[in-house]
Amino acid sequence: MEIPSLTTMITINIFEKTIRFDVTSNYIGGKIMKKEVINDLIKIVGDKWVDQNPERVLSYSRESTNDNYSLVAPEPIAGSVVVKAADAEDISQILKYANQKKINVIARGAGTALSANTIPAQESIILSLERLNKILELDEENMLLKCEAAVSLGDLNERLKSNDHLYFPLHPGDEGAQVGGMAAMNAGGVRAVKHGIMRNQVLGMEVVLPTGEIVNYGGSEGKLLKNNAGYDLMQLMIGSEGTLGIITQVCLKLYPEPKANGTLIVAFDSREDAFASVPAILKKGIIPMALEYVEKDEIELAAADIGKKWPAQNGKYFLMIMLAEAEEDDLFEIGAQIDQITAEHNAVDMLIAQTSAERKAILDIRSHILPAISDKIIDSPDVTVPRSKLCEYLNILNELEEKYNTRCPVVAHAGDGNLHVIILKEDGSKPDYYESLKKDIYQNAVDIGGTITGEHGVGEMRLEYLKMMYSERELEIMEKIKDAFDPNDILNSGKSIIRK
Amino acid sequence: MAAKNELLILAEYSQDKIHPVVFELLNKGKELADKADLTLSVLILLPEKVDLSELIFHGAEKVYYIEDSAFAYPDEFLYKENILSFLKEHQVDIILTGASNFGRSLAPRIAAGLKTGLTADCTALDIDEEGNLVQIRPAFSEKILAHIKSDTRPQMATIRYQEFKKGSTDKTRQGEIIACQLKRNENPNLKQIKKLSNKEINIAEADIIVAGGSGVKNTEDFKLLKKLADLLGGQLAASRDVVDAGLIAKEYQVGYSGQRVKPKLYFAFGISGAPQHLAGMKEADTIIAVNTDPSAPIFNLADYGIVADLYQIIPEFIEMLKK
Amino acid sequence: MHIIVLIKQVPEMDKVLFDSEKGRVDRKSAGVEVNPFDLNALETAVGIKEKTGAEISVLSMGPSRAEEALKEAVARGADNAYLLNDQQFAGADTIATSASLAAAVETIGDYDLIIAGEMSVDGDTAQVGPQTAEFLNINHAAYVSELISVEEDEIEIKTSLWQANYSKTFTYPLLITVTKDINTPRLPSFKDKMKARKAEVKLLTFEDIKNKVKIDEVGFKGSPTWVDNIVVPEEISRKTKVFTEEEKESAYKKIKELLIEKNLMED
Repeated sequence: MEIPSLTTMITINIFEKTIRFDVTSNYIGGKIMKKEVINDLIKIVGDKWVDQNPERVLSYSRESTNDNYSLVAPEPIAGSVVVKAADAEDISQILKYANQKKINVIARGAGTALSANTIPAQESIILSLERLNKILELDEENMLLKCEAAVSLGDLNERLKSNDHLYFPLHPGDEGAQVGGMAAMNAGGVRAVKHGIMRNQVLGMEVVLPTGEIVNYGGSEGKLLKNNAGYDLMQLMIGSEGTLGIITQVCLKLYPEPKANGTLIVAFDSREDAFASVPAILKKGIIPMALEYVEKDEIELAAADIGKKWPAQNGKYFLMIMLAEAEEDDLFEIGAQIDQITAEHNAVDMLIAQTSAERKAILDIRSHILPAISDKIIDSPDVTVPRSKLCEYLNILNELEEKYNTRCPVVAHAGDGNLHVIILKEDGSKPDYYESLKKDIYQNAVDIGGTITGEHGVGEMRLEYLKMMYSERELEIMEKIKDAFDPNDILNSGKSIIRK
Repeated sequence: MAAKNELLILAEYSQDKIHPVVFELLNKGKELADKADLTLSVLILLPEKVDLSELIFHGAEKVYYIEDSAFAYPDEFLYKENILSFLKEHQVDIILTGASNFGRSLAPRIAAGLKTGLTADCTALDIDEEGNLVQIRPAFSEKILAHIKSDTRPQMATIRYQEFKKGSTDKTRQGEIIACQLKRNENPNLKQIKKLSNKEINIAEADIIVAGGSGVKNTEDFKLLKKLADLLGGQLAASRDVVDAGLIAKEYQVGYSGQRVKPKLYFAFGISGAPQHLAGMKEADTIIAVNTDPSAPIFNLADYGIVADLYQIIPEFIEMLKK
Repeated sequence: MHIIVLIKQVPEMDKVLFDSEKGRVDRKSAGVEVNPFDLNALETAVGIKEKTGAEISVLSMGPSRAEEALKEAVARGADNAYLLNDQQFAGADTIATSASLAAAVETIGDYDLIIAGEMSVDGDTAQVGPQTAEFLNINHAAYVSELISVEEDEIEIKTSLWQANYSKTFTYPLLITVTKDINTPRLPSFKDKMKARKAEVKLLTFEDIKNKVKIDEVGFKGSPTWVDNIVVPEEISRKTKVFTEEEKESAYKKIKELLIEKNLMED
């Protein structure tokens, strides 16, 4: 192992283990992966694909979480090793080996999750899937695309550009997100109102189980639209946050591309009016691609940060409604209905973007909110409530703002009832009411029939709140499921579910 | 014997010098003129007396110039009036000019004035069997190369700087330098013209990009990359992680959420090659990557890779370039 | 003041496919939209209108579906819309297009300022603006990135030429082509867009402009340039050569050769 600088490292030998502390950073020192383990891993994947360089291991140990939530995200534990497997076979051997040696394994994609799902809490094999980056098949007959886990959403969309009638709707904000990770996390994002979340897009997958077996879900080809044989283990795998298996291939549903696209921006002077419009619109049978809620301060910051301008000049609270229809006449007919409904809820302006560049600019600004305000925020719980209770939850938030004498900006996938409630820093640091406010945000959502997380998952940062949702018995069943898949608890141990 | 028709290069003289694209056009023009049996000549409009022998040394057989203080400023209207008047008295088969902003603004007016064809931004030129100019330019987001010909004379094309190689200087070359008549030096509709400032630079237009990623440890160290960029006449750029970490401003970012670039040469220092970044630079003509990690994905895309520390490579490379 | 804005309807460029077997561009699969630069041109005009109460006419040459682009312009603040549409105009290159547009401008009548986008994203030539000015025999300023001041009788603009920024003050009439930097086009309101869908687009045929331009100056006949051949460039395929740290000297040598070969360094 290289030692970057002797003056910054303290090495202590206790019993037979070497413990190293890097005194210059927060990177918490730990054990070194044993030489023997490194050699065994090299035997599986080759010398080039095993990396112990501490700086790079650190960068593979962090997530966007560390940047966006620097004050609350856990720092990774040192002493891990990065292994870049070539295929499912490699991964199978690595998992078999890890079982034998009882070493924790963390599957790693783009690291765009936001709940400390892949930050090592112990010395681990960080299994980077980056070499599994091939698009395997675009099957037009079955309207699906089969690809390896590390294909990014951006690559996927790039590939689909050369096809004139099929597209993939999901857009979780960061185009660097990888499909394997999106499946493991059951990603949602902006464009889920019409076609649903990741759970609704996956037709099949190839998975390496923690015990090393390679299995296929969704039939041997992974192309089934219906499959009622036995328990649906594929759906269990989706959203399991890398604790039940390592997804190596996915088969994604594609949709015919709508010809008439338009993005509406409806401006309001009050939050209540904006939120009250949401169920009113959906009740009419209007199904937009996306129905988002944003607020002036944050959206303008996001726009400025990427050198763009938020188009709306009037109003402080906005609904961003992406419509995708077969004909332009339909687009305008639906737009007119929305215009009427939102006018009844005191909308002050309604704009329409139709050119692809302008629609993209709006989506880009929307996607950039979190990065743009990352230095101002502590946390952004992504609670979800029944759509009809958005207004009720908003009133609760108003009360919380009053109780803690703070402001909680809201960004929401309003059409899904999914809110990102933003907890701001105070004078650049974590306010003393942070824990208490966060708990209130979660508890109140759960109390009105909601959940503590609609898309980012539990990871490590929301473990303690799972108890708000589930009884002892339910948690016990989850634990038993984990045991059934992973008897030695070697796969992303300590994440996603509570273990006694 | 009747005089040969001409291949005329319209030279841009700005900021007190002849634009370097002119020497590249002379080199290519010589090859084309030989093939089509034309006289290679240059027309240049000057605000003051300038030594033009360098144009001869680079292959021009005739150098025409019109001198007047009005040409100290870029006024397309005056330029085109004088050039159109000059062209009335010359048998020109081909006109080539640089595709600078001024060239791209002036050449269309001249083509319209002559009612002749003009092809913008050619990347290659040739002469076909009948002696016509083949004007080759990328089209449809560079998905195709269109070979364009013109029915009319002169055949006109603008060519980007650094598409062709500059030829060598030969001080023994002989040629004529000929003063030409000024037609007009007043533009009654242009009341005032003044220089404000030098142009801001944009990484999307750079020919050479020197980009740094997470291997660059702090803001100060980007100066090392900047030094190399300056030496090469290139632009500094960065990957998303260092921009997000606040080491460098967002306008330097290359990738999905930054700029997409297409330079001739892209240096990636300490950039591992996340898809986010690769999408923004994969169309560079040539990619050179330096990274300590032999398994970094950037090495799969790069033309040349060096598995080493950028902090060692850059200073050594700078030294070597200075020699 | 009367401002004429030149508009082009273009395919959505990232959707345009190239059929390498048939050797032709397939525009069918792509949708159409207003050339993005032209929206900057229109926004510039609307900005002047808001200050001085100018009247804005938009003019496009194209097939009948280009009416949609003109209606979009009306939704964003144009007062009159003209579509130059006739079989005779088909197959026009930049010269024939400019000759036709100039004739249409003269037919529409008095104008002070013509504004066009820097270029179209499908043609990429940046020629139609300056050529239209030449046919009208008026001054033009290309690459305008800022209007410094606009008065009833003169206009001062900022443009980047000769690797520097210049300010130029012109009297009218004048044609300018604007860059993306000049403004951020505002979105139309939904109500204005609904209204504009029913807006009248005045049709101009060759018959309407025949006093200003000859039949052999428009369309295919008036176009001196033609595409002789289309070549699909080979996909960039890279053969990676990786040097180890010990081999770095040969890597430097290789890079230096590359710089010289690519004409990026004085040799």
